[in-house]
Parts: sequence; structure tokens; C-alpha cells
Amino acid sequence: MKEIVKITIGLTLTCLIAAGIMGGVFVITAKAKKHNEYLNFKENMLALLGYNQTQPAPDSLQLCTVYRYLVYQGEKTSLGYMLPVKVKDANDIHFQFIRVNIQGQFIDQFDLDINAAKSSDSNDRKKAIAKVLPKDISQLIFADRFIVATNDNKRLAYLLPGKTPGFKTHINFMLALDSQYGIVGLQILEHQEDPGLGAEIEQEYFKNQFTGKNSERLKTLKVIKEPLPDEQLRFLERGKWGADAYAQKDIDALQKKYQDKDICAITGATISSVAVVNGVKNVVTKFVYRVKILENIISKQKIAVAF
Amino acid sequence: MIEKNQSYSNIFLNGILNENPIFRLALSMCPAVGISTNMMNGLLMGIAVLFVQFCSSLTISLVKNFIHPRIRIPTYTLTIATWVTVTDLVLAAFFPVAYKSLGIFVRLIVVFCFITMRLDVFARKNPVFPSLVDAVGMGFGFMVGMMAIGGIREIMGMGTLLGYDILGFRPLLFFVLPCSGFFVVGFMMAIFNYTEIIYNRRKRARSVA
Repeated sequence: MKEIVKITIGLTLTCLIAAGIMGGVFVITAKAKKHNEYLNFKENMLALLGYNQTQPAPDSLQLCTVYRYLVYQGEKTSLGYMLPVKVKDANDIHFQFIRVNIQGQFIDQFDLDINAAKSSDSNDRKKAIAKVLPKDISQLIFADRFIVATNDNKRLAYLLPGKTPGFKTHINFMLALDSQYGIVGLQILEHQEDPGLGAEIEQEYFKNQFTGKNSERLKTLKVIKEPLPDEQLRFLERGKWGADAYAQKDIDALQKKYQDKDICAITGATISSVAVVNGVKNVVTKFVYRVKILENIISKQKIAVAF
Repeated sequence: MIEKNQSYSNIFLNGILNENPIFRLALSMCPAVGISTNMMNGLLMGIAVLFVQFCSSLTISLVKNFIHPRIRIPTYTLTIATWVTVTDLVLAAFFPVAYKSLGIFVRLIVVFCFITMRLDVFARKNPVFPSLVDAVGMGFGFMVGMMAIGGIREIMGMGTLLGYDILGFRPLLFFVLPCSGFFVVGFMMAIFNYTEIIYNRRKRARSVA
């Protein structure tokens, strides 16, 4: 009996000390970790827009995030969009929450009491939204988000984070679309495909094949099992050959030549290639459908959105 | 227990040659096979393991008198888990570049059996300094093993070494797949065993003469 008490006390103490150490380290590092994740995400976004260290983004560049929520109210489901809105005589961005029903009709809109700094935290967002919504909301679920990049009040691109089941686990990627919903660029954020095989989806020659495909072409886009022609391969990897390897005229001509071609699968990684293509198709189709409804509502309700 | 005539350099070399965790003890084979697809992964994993082994050995050899012998294994697990979590959090916060490529591997270290084994076999019974030497030796042994496997697989599978193109072509794509890890480990084990046999035979021949 004495032994058992001793063991119990010993184990409990060990656990408590371990929890103390881990908790302490977590408190110290939590802020830096979050900041790193945010920086990484932002760096990827800027890279998609064509900015890098040699060509930094201008100060007038603004990234506005739109969050989409699912709102359950008893039997009824509606979609909620959290939109950044402009306020007169203030630099800070305010947020509004609008509700749209499944048929795409506007229901109501609310002003949110949340500032730009807090809006990146999912808990803060949820709290602010729950405060203004009617009391009988049973569930509020965060669905996804997209980012609108603007420069001098002109829309540059839409950035869409997406996720698709790959060969092993989910592949996280981000897409940049121009204002006509054609693909500007694709960035693979996170994946666990096999190195040398599926991991090649990270390579320029695969990612750049998506550039220039518009939303119509995407509907029929498929993966073909053909080797990339040497000319196209060299063109797709033009980032490696230095700035003067291609003249702008050649780039335009080659881009046009290969614009409507299907995606060539990576050798030995057809499943990963198909996964990325399907993911991209899926994300773009849904986005185009949703954003058209949203634009409609914004112009009808005269919401002064920040993008 | 540490033997009287065992010097620190012997303890250190013991972890790399005589009791190399991968090739001689055949412990922690899952990470050795799963992660060692290239040399850089092996190196980074080795460094992380070395750090965790060092800290855990230090902790256990410091508090060895307070650990109840019946619950020593849970205590080891807790110690290792704590240090792994600390490593994970610190890497994520202050070394984002390294964390990007190490990410998921770091959390795997909790289940590395050779760390637990070292704590039970060595750190529990010995003073602090020899335990640390042993920890560093074992960590290095693991690192060298992982780098060797990773190097062979990388050069055979992708024709590169540490990311630099060496061969210019890919000899056998099969080597980057998980199953080839077993082949490489088995091959290396055979080399280690063969070297030992030759070494012992020479030693015997010398003592007879």
C-alpha cells in the first residue's frame, strides 16, 4: 500500500514538472511561432504576386481577407461572409458580416466590433461574430477564406488557399487568380509526397504549367501522360536561366502556344499530379461561383468593401 | 555500470562503432528507414536526436536517486517527451527555416527506443559526466548512421548529394522509396558485421603469433 502511494505521488510530481516546463516554453514561444506562420504565409502570397527580395512589394499593396462561415440556425443553413469595409476618415479597416442563404439571396448584415490586428485570430473573429448574430444560432463554422490583393484601389489578384487529398496526406496549396479568374500562379505550401516522385509538384516545371489557364479551360483540364517537350520545359523553368534568357516577346509567344495544353503528369507520380489538378479545378470552380454571388450582393447592398 | 578501465573516449566510440544504434543494436529502425531519403534529412534528424538524448541523459542522471525503480520507464518517456516538445516549440519559434524541413520528424523522437534504452542502461547507473559522454556518442552514432543511409539513398536514387547534383542522372529511382531503406540498412549491417569478423580474426592471429 505504501509502495502504491509512493509511486502515485512520484508519477504525479513528474507529470506536473514536465507540464510546467512544457507550458513555460509554450508561453515563451507561442507568439514567435504564430508570427512565423503568418510571415511564411505572407511571403508565399507575395511570391505569387511576383514580388520577392529584389523586387519588394509597394506600400500601396493591400491584402484584404474575406472569411466564409457556415451559419446553422435550427433547420436552416446560411453562409456568412466577413468582409473588410472602408470607413470614412479612418485608416483602420472595419469588418462587416453578411448572411446569404443557400439560393444566394441576401439576408442581413451586421457591423463587427473587431480591428484588423485581431481579425487574424480565429477565436477573436468567432467571438465578434457571435456577439452580433441573433441568439438562436446553433453553430458557426469557419469554412474558408480568400484574399484580395489591391494596389492603388485596383484589384490585382485573388489569392485562394486550398487543400486536396494527395498520395499520402493533404496537399496545401495557394492559387492566384486575376480579375477574369484566370490562373496567375500556383504555390505548394505543404505536402508530404515522396521525395523524387510526388514531391516534384513543388518544382517550377509542374507549377508553371497552370499559369494562364482561364476558368473555362479549367473545366476540361486533365492530366496527360506525355513527356514535356524540351522547348516547353525550358520555358517553364525560365526562372533558372537568368533574366535575359527570354525576351518579353518570346515569353508571350510561348505562353500563348502552351496556354491551352493539358497538364503533363510527373513521371512516377500520376496520383499526385491528378490530385493537384483536381484540387485546383475544385477550388477555382467553387470560388468563381461564390464570388459572383458575393459581388452581386455587394453592389446591390452598396457595401463599401475595402477591395 | 561503468567499468574501471573504460575511458571516456571508449564510451564515446562505443556509441558510434560497437553499439551503433542502427547498425549494431538495430533499434529505432522506423525513422532510419522512413526519414533517411536524403543526406540533409539524416543530418537534421541526427542533430535533433543528439540534443534530445543529451538533455534526457542529463536529466535522468541528475535525478536518478529519486526515481522509483517500478516506474522508471514511464519517467523516461515523460522526460523524453518533455524535451522533444521543448525542441519542437523552440525550433518552430526561432528557427523557422530548419523547422520547415524537420517539422514532423521532431515529434517522432518521442518513440525512439534507443534513447529510452540508453537512459535505462547507462544514465540510470552512472554519474553525470560519463552519461553525457555516452549520450553524445550515441547521438553521433545515430547521426552518422542516418547520414550514411541518407547519402547512399540520395546518390543512388536521385544522383545528388546534399542537394548538389553529382552524377547528373538518376541511377535507380527505387532507392528513394521507403522499402529500399531496409535494403540499405541490411547492407550496412552486413558491412559492420563483416568488419567485426575480420577484425577479431586478425586480433586472434596476432595473439597466437
